[in-house]
Amino acid sequence: MLDLIMCVDDDPITLMLLKKVIDKAAFSKETITAQNGEEALEFFKSLKNTLTKDTTTNLPQLIFLDLNMPVMGGWEFLDCFNTPEYLNFNDIKVVILSSTIDPEDISKSKTYPIVIDFLPKPITTSILDYLKTKI
Amino acid sequence: MKNKTNQITAFYILASLFIAIISFKLLKTYTSTFDCHLYSFIKDLIFITITGLFFRYILHKNDEKNTKFYENLKQTNDKIKESNEKYDIVAKATSDTIWDWKIPEDNLTWNKGIKGIYGYNQDQIENNSKWWFNNIHPEDSIKMSIKLYSFLEQKTEKWQDQYRFKCADNTYKHVLDRGFLLKDKNGKAVRMIGAIQDITKQKEEENRLKLLETVFTQAKDSIIITEAESNDGQIPKIVFANPAYINMSGYKTNEIIGKSPNLFMGKNSDIQQIEKLTNAITNKEECLLEIICYKKDQSEYRVQLSFIPVYNLEHELSHWISIQRDVTEEKELEKEKEQLIQELTKNNKDLKQFSYITSHNLRAPLSNLTGLLNLIKDISIEDEELKEIITGFNKSTHLLNETINDLAKVITIRDNSAIQNEEALIKNVFQNIFNQLRFQIESHKPELNINFGDITTIYTHKAYFESIILNLLTNAIKYRSEDRKLIIEITGAKINNTIVITVKDNGIGINLERHKDKIFGLYQRFHNHPDSKGLGLYLVKSQIESMGGTISIESEVNKGTTFTLTFKA
Repeated sequence: MLDLIMCVDDDPITLMLLKKVIDKAAFSKETITAQNGEEALEFFKSLKNTLTKDTTTNLPQLIFLDLNMPVMGGWEFLDCFNTPEYLNFNDIKVVILSSTIDPEDISKSKTYPIVIDFLPKPITTSILDYLKTKI
Repeated sequence: MKNKTNQITAFYILASLFIAIISFKLLKTYTSTFDCHLYSFIKDLIFITITGLFFRYILHKNDEKNTKFYENLKQTNDKIKESNEKYDIVAKATSDTIWDWKIPEDNLTWNKGIKGIYGYNQDQIENNSKWWFNNIHPEDSIKMSIKLYSFLEQKTEKWQDQYRFKCADNTYKHVLDRGFLLKDKNGKAVRMIGAIQDITKQKEEENRLKLLETVFTQAKDSIIITEAESNDGQIPKIVFANPAYINMSGYKTNEIIGKSPNLFMGKNSDIQQIEKLTNAITNKEECLLEIICYKKDQSEYRVQLSFIPVYNLEHELSHWISIQRDVTEEKELEKEKEQLIQELTKNNKDLKQFSYITSHNLRAPLSNLTGLLNLIKDISIEDEELKEIITGFNKSTHLLNETINDLAKVITIRDNSAIQNEEALIKNVFQNIFNQLRFQIESHKPELNINFGDITTIYTHKAYFESIILNLLTNAIKYRSEDRKLIIEITGAKINNTIVITVKDNGIGINLERHKDKIFGLYQRFHNHPDSKGLGLYLVKSQIESMGGTISIESEVNKGTTFTLTFKA
């Protein structure tokens, strides 16, 4: 069981569902959410500041990332997250969670080393069980 | 000759003298009058001498005349002989066939050429003019005889004519016949001598050149020929321009000949292209270019032209040939086409993007619904009515989900232009399919006969192939007949380079006469079945065609349906 994961999605229902399924599958103790890529980046930026003071701060071990979001989508988030600014967090793995069927999205996801999987919505307990084996 | 005259004269005098002496002696013996005898004898002597001398004179004159005549004759004879020899030599040396026509007797003789060139043996020739005329090509004979008779009647001064002359092997040779006329004292034509020259080769060459010339004159492409070099740095001067060029440029022939093609260049002519051409000409190299030129009225046209060096037998550059084509319209069309393609590509891309977004936007809330329903499954519900409502809710959500998934598949098939094929084990394919269909197979228990003979693998897009067979099997189960046990036969066979798979059932069938055109169409439903979405066969067809295969259907209402699939092996 993971300690902390982050879910980035603009749809509150999806977030709610995700939380419930994560609880059910006992996937993670704690879940934090962000509405879009920018919000997620803000979180990491603030984390970076606290990181320097207190090294024991809990980092998310995994990010569930939606692609299609307002303000900042998943791809843009990944591009920013890969810059040296977020060097401290490059151990964090990303799982893309999307309803897309565009084959280009899937092949694009493979160009990001931190993306470990591309999963279709909705998330189910069995998918989470499978993910556990992968981390 | 003179001696002979003298001899004859001497002989005459001696003989006459002898007779005179005998007569004198006889007279002296038998007569007595002496004086008279002597006188008579002297008179005889004188007479004989005078006549003898006279005789000699006449003979001498005659002789002289004869000698002169003989000498003349000899001279003439020599001349004739020499002339004959010359004639023989010329007749032998010339390739011409000589004929000699004595007109009043209508006797026409031929020299050896008639055999050598036209192949006639002496016994095949009739020595009259009729034979000659009969061997002239019918198309030429009237024209020829008109000219010949007008010459014979001396209305024309010279005669020469071209016609086709028949050879012994019935082929025709083109000949040039030249003749002259011999006239008698009264100016009447009595003899005609002619020489026939075989000009077949020249004629053929002439025809060939004429034919080749038509390329120049009849070509739709514009052609100009220029000099080899120019000394003013311009493109060499034009020597010839064909009608198409005249037509294209709008100039008259005499306005172009002797001018440099620089005449056609103007302010919008690409200077780089002109330089390219000038360089090619300097280097004596072939050159291809496209450039804007100007007609006489200064309107622009875009021309595609080649400049090709032409060498003579001595391998010296003699001319340049330029073939040109007005591509103004073509260029415009091409531009339009390109624009259209660009627009279409963009539209297509937009539409694709639109369908992905639509699909995404539909799938996102739907996946929430499915996820939520999955959660409800684990919650026990006491209220029966709520249970019923949730069951219905569940069913509809799943159906909607399937539909959306199928549509999404259709979109991705359309997008996957390059299909990755792989070797798939038939056994595995069917195992996967039966796993997915376990519920249906268990509840309807169809008799399944699968026979693929010795085919164990198939080279295909595995997911599509599974989807195709799955769809056809689902259809067979869905549209089974309630009156009989469902039998499904699936066979595979390799025919030449194709794998043919048939899927046959004994279900309710489809009325093909009514639905033939729509069978594989999108959103076509032929049976009132609750699960029917009108997508399955459309999907099957799309998938099989994207792999380069085909699908066809045979069906009879209430008997069953057979689908035949072909794949490239």
